[in-house]
Amino acid sequence: MSSSDADQDDISRRSFLLSGGGLLSSVWIAAHWPAIAAAAHHAEDAAAGPESAGFEFLNTAEAADVEAICAQIVPSGATPGARETHVVYFIDRALATFFSATSPDYRAGLTQFRAAYRASNSTPGSFAESGSDAQIAFLKTVDRTPFFETTRTLTLLGMFSSPKYGGNFGGAGWKLMGFADQHAFIPPFGFYDREYTGFIPYTTGKPA
Amino acid sequence: MTARRFKANETVDFAVVGSGAAGGVLARELSQAGFSVLVFEQGPRFSPADFEHDELKYFFLSGLTVDPKSSPQTFRKRADVPAQRPGGPTGTQPALYARLVGGSSNHFTANYWRFHEIDFRERSVLGAIPGTGFADWPITYQELEPYYTKVEWEVGVSGLAYASPFDPPRTKGYPMPPLPVKSSGVLLERGARKLGLHPFPAPMAIASQPFRGRPACVHCGFCMGFGCEARAKSSSLYTMIPEAEATGRCEVRAHSYVYRVAINAAGRTTGVHYFDADRRERFQKARAVVLSANGAETVRLLLNSTSNGFPQGLANSSGLVGKYLMFNQGAAAHAVFENELNEYKSVQVTRIVHDFYDTDPKRGFYGGGGIDGRINPQPALWAMSEGGELPRWGADLKARIEAFPRSMVATGHTTSLPLETNNVSIDPTLKDAWGIPALRVTYQDHPDDLAFARFLQDRQVEIMQAAGAQKVWRDQVQENEAGVHLLGTCRMGNDPATSVVDKYHRTHDVPNLFLCDGSSFVTSGRGQPTMTIQALAFRAAEHIGQFAKRNEI
Repeated sequence: MSSSDADQDDISRRSFLLSGGGLLSSVWIAAHWPAIAAAAHHAEDAAAGPESAGFEFLNTAEAADVEAICAQIVPSGATPGARETHVVYFIDRALATFFSATSPDYRAGLTQFRAAYRASNSTPGSFAESGSDAQIAFLKTVDRTPFFETTRTLTLLGMFSSPKYGGNFGGAGWKLMGFADQHAFIPPFGFYDREYTGFIPYTTGKPA
Repeated sequence: MTARRFKANETVDFAVVGSGAAGGVLARELSQAGFSVLVFEQGPRFSPADFEHDELKYFFLSGLTVDPKSSPQTFRKRADVPAQRPGGPTGTQPALYARLVGGSSNHFTANYWRFHEIDFRERSVLGAIPGTGFADWPITYQELEPYYTKVEWEVGVSGLAYASPFDPPRTKGYPMPPLPVKSSGVLLERGARKLGLHPFPAPMAIASQPFRGRPACVHCGFCMGFGCEARAKSSSLYTMIPEAEATGRCEVRAHSYVYRVAINAAGRTTGVHYFDADRRERFQKARAVVLSANGAETVRLLLNSTSNGFPQGLANSSGLVGKYLMFNQGAAAHAVFENELNEYKSVQVTRIVHDFYDTDPKRGFYGGGGIDGRINPQPALWAMSEGGELPRWGADLKARIEAFPRSMVATGHTTSLPLETNNVSIDPTLKDAWGIPALRVTYQDHPDDLAFARFLQDRQVEIMQAAGAQKVWRDQVQENEAGVHLLGTCRMGNDPATSVVDKYHRTHDVPNLFLCDGSSFVTSGRGQPTMTIQALAFRAAEHIGQFAKRNEI
């Protein structure tokens, strides 16, 4: 096995875990929560505005391609997507700081992705410079790769975790989702509990 | 009274290792009974204001949980494959727990189901299951019932007694009414009733009204994986620990990592070796030691405490210390409804279904479980949910994200069979940041565990369809590679050859060493172990206190 194969295996392993799954509660956590954490400790919250910092880990061309991938994972449109919520800045910052342990594998995967795209594309130009249809068609061929899985995870983490980490700009991710960032709520919480008339006991022969 | 501070050369009656669900109860009960108690906690002590709503920090950067950087663990599915640190050189924890005063009772979801009578004598009722360590408990539900009641009234549980036709007998109702129903609860109840099932209000260790000096829940929604800044969650940090300290006989020593239990030539423990906050090695003398460090760390401590008299680890004459690890199984089914549920508000669970609690031999496999209605309320984790039929990217994913307020999940919580091949052991090479040999987890679900999880998932899907869901997605039932329920690893029993502790949690091998936490379990229950861990702790404390008073320790 070449070293790059070994790297890929390592990425594969990590990214599989990073990508997690949809289980919930004990089982969801059991299977995925610990496994997701791929990083060293985050010293403290990232700095101020994302643009002011510039890119710390990605170069400009890489950042453009990563952002284009993110924008296909959560597209823009009538409502904001990954692009408008500054996800690429989150990813850059994460790889430079609190997920820095992942960054060598991530760069290897990104380099491979960019090379594969150039090889598959008859016309010159990067992934970011291509049209949306071409991007989608290509992503469908690589959307089970470790690199894509990791990008997907980071996209969603950036878009929907606290804005202080550099993504979810202005809370737009939460707004898209319909999540209200408040510290207290009062019932009714939703449509269906509003109309609930109370628990009707079963006839069990025991005191109700 | 203010909390006691023991001097360095003082001998305490009890050293309790771990301040979580079990350790908190033992500290409170033993100190109230008149004993001096020193509780050791590896992690820090948080005040309510220290808890944040920071999903990334708590779920991805070990904000509350055991940190893979300083306390690495390894995992393998079977003994014949190499164990690895999951997720690469900086990843993951196969035995996941919260490391702070109050332990995992800080970040748990607070589902507080009592075990049923059947849980304690399933082996007798169903017969042997070849290749497993399936066994009866040495105690019955009836013996434990008074202590379940104690948990409900002294720790604080909200619920509706007798609401479920499947509830085991109880001597008293709940001290607080159920928390307000959420839309997920209404829909779970609606669907389940249509199918002839018997959904009922979920018992939760969260205050639905002011209780013993704590306020009622403010419905912030950040229970699972988070600490409660409102003090409404009945964590040891807010319940048992302050009451223990109020006796003036108990000290909780944070940032104090016990790494070895001391043993003398007579085969009795004399205290514990620990690292203080500055990583200085210390020794604490104690007349008796109670390990409540959880079903993984209690094991590591015993296996790392080898000596001439105990070459294969302390209290391990049976060879069973660490064996029979059980994580529980279960899977989710996701649904979208026409109107808003807003499941990110309030506690995770308000209605549950226990119609499939018992094993039905006609199914052809062992297993039982419960179903609840909820959502994974944290936005990023929810958006990341993957597996089965969920969309992964593109316009379909965005549509699912935008349907968050109209979404819920029916989750299954199911059994794990005790297998000797599933265990916690010591990694032969890896050490933690203190130089102490690290944890290794070996685990692969029994086929019946997966089969029942799939069976129950079918019921979850049917319930949500009956409730009128517009769309239902199934997750995959996946093999566990990590767990937060750390059960069965120092099982209790009457026979020293087939168990580690007796029915009073005293180790068979060392008369003044007791183990009480998830490790004491003989079977896994149905995925909600903390209520039973605390009931066992109340019962253990009563007996241990009596032994001490009679000079029988």
